[in-house]
Amino acid sequence: MEGNVKEKRPKFCVNDHVDILMEILKRLDGRSLCVSACVCRLWCTIARNDSLWEHLCFRHASPPPSSGVRPVIVALGGYKRLYMVCVRPVLSRLGRLRIAGDSDRARKVWTRDGVQLSLSLFCVDYYERLGRLGGGGDASGGSSLMFLCKPVNV
Amino acid sequence: MKREHQETIGGAGSSNGNKAESSSSSMATGKGKIWVEDDQDAGGMDELLAVLGYKIKSSEMADVAQKLEQLEMVLGSEDGFSHLASDTVHYNPSDLSGWVQNMLSEFNNLPSTDLDSSILLSNNQDSQSSTITSLDFSINSQSKVFVDNSEYDLRAIPGVAAYPQQEFDKSNDRKRMKLTPVGSNNAPALAVNNSLQSSNPSCSPSSSPQAIMAVSGTLSEPTRPVVLIDSQETGVHLVHTLLACAEAIQQENLKFADALFKLIGPLALSQAGAMRKVATYFAEALARRIYKIFPQDYCLDSSYSDTLEMHFYETCPYIKFAHFTANQAILEAFANASRVHVIDFGLKQGMQWPALMQALALRPGGPPAFRLTGIGPPQPDNTDALQQVGWKLAQLAQTIGVKFEFRGFVANSLADLEAEILDLRPPEVEAVAVNSVFELHRLLDRPGNIDKVLGSIKAMRPKIVTIVEQEANHNGPVFLDRFNEALHYYSSLFDSLEGSGLTPPSQDLVMSELYLGRQICNVVACEGADRVERHETLAQWRTRFDSAGFDPVHLGSNAFKQASMLLALFAGGDGYRVEENNGCLMLGWHTRPLIATSAWRPAAGDSQL
Repeated sequence: MEGNVKEKRPKFCVNDHVDILMEILKRLDGRSLCVSACVCRLWCTIARNDSLWEHLCFRHASPPPSSGVRPVIVALGGYKRLYMVCVRPVLSRLGRLRIAGDSDRARKVWTRDGVQLSLSLFCVDYYERLGRLGGGGDASGGSSLMFLCKPVNV
Repeated sequence: MKREHQETIGGAGSSNGNKAESSSSSMATGKGKIWVEDDQDAGGMDELLAVLGYKIKSSEMADVAQKLEQLEMVLGSEDGFSHLASDTVHYNPSDLSGWVQNMLSEFNNLPSTDLDSSILLSNNQDSQSSTITSLDFSINSQSKVFVDNSEYDLRAIPGVAAYPQQEFDKSNDRKRMKLTPVGSNNAPALAVNNSLQSSNPSCSPSSSPQAIMAVSGTLSEPTRPVVLIDSQETGVHLVHTLLACAEAIQQENLKFADALFKLIGPLALSQAGAMRKVATYFAEALARRIYKIFPQDYCLDSSYSDTLEMHFYETCPYIKFAHFTANQAILEAFANASRVHVIDFGLKQGMQWPALMQALALRPGGPPAFRLTGIGPPQPDNTDALQQVGWKLAQLAQTIGVKFEFRGFVANSLADLEAEILDLRPPEVEAVAVNSVFELHRLLDRPGNIDKVLGSIKAMRPKIVTIVEQEANHNGPVFLDRFNEALHYYSSLFDSLEGSGLTPPSQDLVMSELYLGRQICNVVACEGADRVERHETLAQWRTRFDSAGFDPVHLGSNAFKQASMLLALFAGGDGYRVEENNGCLMLGWHTRPLIATSAWRPAAGDSQL
């Protein structure tokens, strides 16, 4: 048996095919994406690619936000930060409350309002960081998005 | 032989519940103060005492006073005073004579290590013990102590029943005890010290007299006597006392108010959570009013109040709700404009505008040119806070690609503002929005101010005027009504803070409470021009705007949906409620609306000003 395997080794390594890797990673959820960033350096670099996170953020948004959104989000800190700071907590909280029958596996569909709310909160977060960088804030200065980090008492 | 409900309470710090007519008695405790002799007739006093739940006749006051004197001597002479602080003996000051006797008996019994409670009675170590023998204690006063950590029940506030029972929680830790009378006979309780361990475990609760003891502290020993305290009744009593004190102040009866005020402290300590904090703040405000120590600096230090407001902003959704709903109304009004101008009556940190700018940036037709005029109070240290905020907003605008202009105006009062100085452009060129979040109510101290400001607003020819105000009437002419309203309002607010999921002690929570506490102080303790927190209800504002020539603009369903979603993100999300009220949105906690957003535009029939 081993001899057979040695003969027909296809020598396929996904690391050689970055575009395939990207396609695969695009379909992961947030946590898995973060985990995959710990696999090796190549994966880490790829996982930092903002387009992956863009896909993740608005995968379930219906209707999907327009392309004009991208420069704004990039300027405000990028999709990865948007996901970490706003989208993930918002989705998880709203998803938890929507106790529909089929949303167990969370095809959490975003409405435009949800997207808009996340973007607004993201902008507020950027503005607050501006304030802190300007020397006005103290190290423990709260972020207005801290309420998203607290455990939800559902 | 006195009363039914008799509980014992550790006397070290909580002896404020005494009422005595004779002026010579005083309690040597931390809060001890001499009771001034009231000149009121005994009959009236009796009624008042009965109303408050004190089962004592004013004729007995002299007797009680004498015993208090003795007690004071005893307390003063005992250097083991501190052990009382760690004691967990509870007294019911509703029955003053019995309480005093308990205290005295306890002092007599302390040196004794004998566990037999019968010896307690006969242990006469001081000359004061002569008063002990007049009591006939029954020994078997054992009942169970329950530590009730259930959620404090704020329903006590609207409750009107004035229960005569009253319990004090002396313990320094935060455990609350549930205390109810057990048994029905009239024998008074025996004050039992922790260290005495004289409880008789074989005694069943059903045979214990109605007099009950509370023992807090470590409940590791099973033989410890146990008591149930009903904190809801205490809460009702606390509210009752607060209202009675306010009424006394209103009637200019400051001595009586002072007397009542001293009762509030220990009552408040017996509560936990939101109720305790609310009661403490209201008590402090009442004290300021009684002793005429008016706070002067409410408006002066705006950076301090801004900091507090920032913490409040982060902790609970009220200000965020205000911003998001107002922004939504402004956004809809600016739908097709290519140049927009927002006039913010209270810029503070400018937290409202990033979200609006982001929404404008992502507008389908591209962002308009955005001009912001911010109005703020003068700074004590002459720093230009407005310009700093403007600079930050300009940075943000540059980041997201919105053309931005900023202008700041410093004004002591909005009434000083004139439309001409704002450099407005004609409405064909520029769409104007006026925004006021919690600012307009400050103008209500003088009757002309608000009308002047409304006139100025009309002169600005805005497309929309967004107003957010507290939904409460804290501006009535009668002090007692204001106090009552404020008590209910801030209780709901504090309750919602408790539900915010922040584990105390958290800096955010503390600062938020301080922010609200300052408002409470202003509503209750200040008068005239100093009282700026003159909240009025949405209905009252509607009347004002209607008569000033404004038409209401309905906030759309988008605003409602966004608001609901925003609230769902907060930890206490299911406690918050968004309601729609004739086109205005109200955010409330459970059934109580707390803030209201409304939108207006100048009436169509108005000619160009």
